[in-house]
Amino acid sequence: MSFHLSTKERLLLLIDDIEIIAKQLIENAMTPKHLRVPAVETTALVDLLVSKDEEFRSMLQLAAEQEKIEQKMNAYRAQVEIQDREINQLQKQLKEAEQILSTALFQARQKLNSIARANKRPVSSEELIKYAHRISASNAICAPLTWMQGDLRRPYPTDIEMRVGFLGKSDLNANGHSVTQPNNTNDIHRSTGEVPAASQNQFAWQLGELHMMGGSGSSVSLDTRAHKEASQDDVEVMSTDSSSSSSSDSQ
Amino acid sequence: MEQFPSEQNDKSAILNNVVGPQTSQLTVGELDIEILPVIYDIIRCVEKNPVDNAAKQRESQECSQKILELQKRFDSARSQIRQLPGIDYNKEEQLQKLEQLKSQLMLKQKLIKKYKNKPF
Repeated sequence: MSFHLSTKERLLLLIDDIEIIAKQLIENAMTPKHLRVPAVETTALVDLLVSKDEEFRSMLQLAAEQEKIEQKMNAYRAQVEIQDREINQLQKQLKEAEQILSTALFQARQKLNSIARANKRPVSSEELIKYAHRISASNAICAPLTWMQGDLRRPYPTDIEMRVGFLGKSDLNANGHSVTQPNNTNDIHRSTGEVPAASQNQFAWQLGELHMMGGSGSSVSLDTRAHKEASQDDVEVMSTDSSSSSSSDSQ
Repeated sequence: MEQFPSEQNDKSAILNNVVGPQTSQLTVGELDIEILPVIYDIIRCVEKNPVDNAAKQRESQECSQKILELQKRFDSARSQIRQLPGIDYNKEEQLQKLEQLKSQLMLKQKLIKKYKNKPF
């Protein structure tokens, strides 16, 4: 018997053997007496059959042992499966932690970089406050709180200041005009001594609008006045906004 | 361990999965393989050789039925053996596989223990 075969194959082979021997025995028994094989051979066949049957029984015992081993293996397999699941779970958590840490590291590196940059060129807070005071003293970034229509103090950067600023320059250069600066920089930092040209323009434009609207009739002019007040408020808000935004641009 | 709330359920589910298919399999104790008595019956039946024709006819029919039954027994023995669990390998191979499983389990348990005891 070849022992490299599995127990199942050996059992099946034994059954095949028993079948062949049984067939021979039955065929022999069915043939007429004078044609039968000698009794010695028949006895040998019967002995072989019995020995095969014994072998089959012992093989079944082996199968029973292997069945027990298989049960043990099943228990181990179940345990291994549980461990596998746990390992997978842990691996997943590890991956998540890695991702979170790498994000944190990236952000920390960015912060370190900006700290290093700030350390390289330190700016004192006093200097900052001084600068802020300087640019706000001339009401260049925000209108005074008490500013009203007609107030001589300007609520926004003037045309001159806009032209002198970076945006104005770039606009002129782009259009191919020569860069002309009618006023020097001292004009920009003047206080409320004179009415700014832009402010006058604004007035003129508003008056023009009033005139246009008033031209349609007296009843309309009343409405226009009411409208004028509302529009003045709008303009005020708008101009304050634009002053803050455009002044920051021109700086 | 709060990350594994359903661990106990998982364990039982796995055990059911592993043990489940075994219920459809046969055990050696449940085998019903009796071949030699049938062969003996057939030979005795053939050897009887009765004198009158009617009895001869009856014996012959009985004999062929028994041969058919023997064939059925062989077939059923083969199918029963195919249903036996754990005999796909010979014993040595099976023991080797058992050892492999055992060492695999130990290794995995060690790994998990090592990881969980690691101070972070």
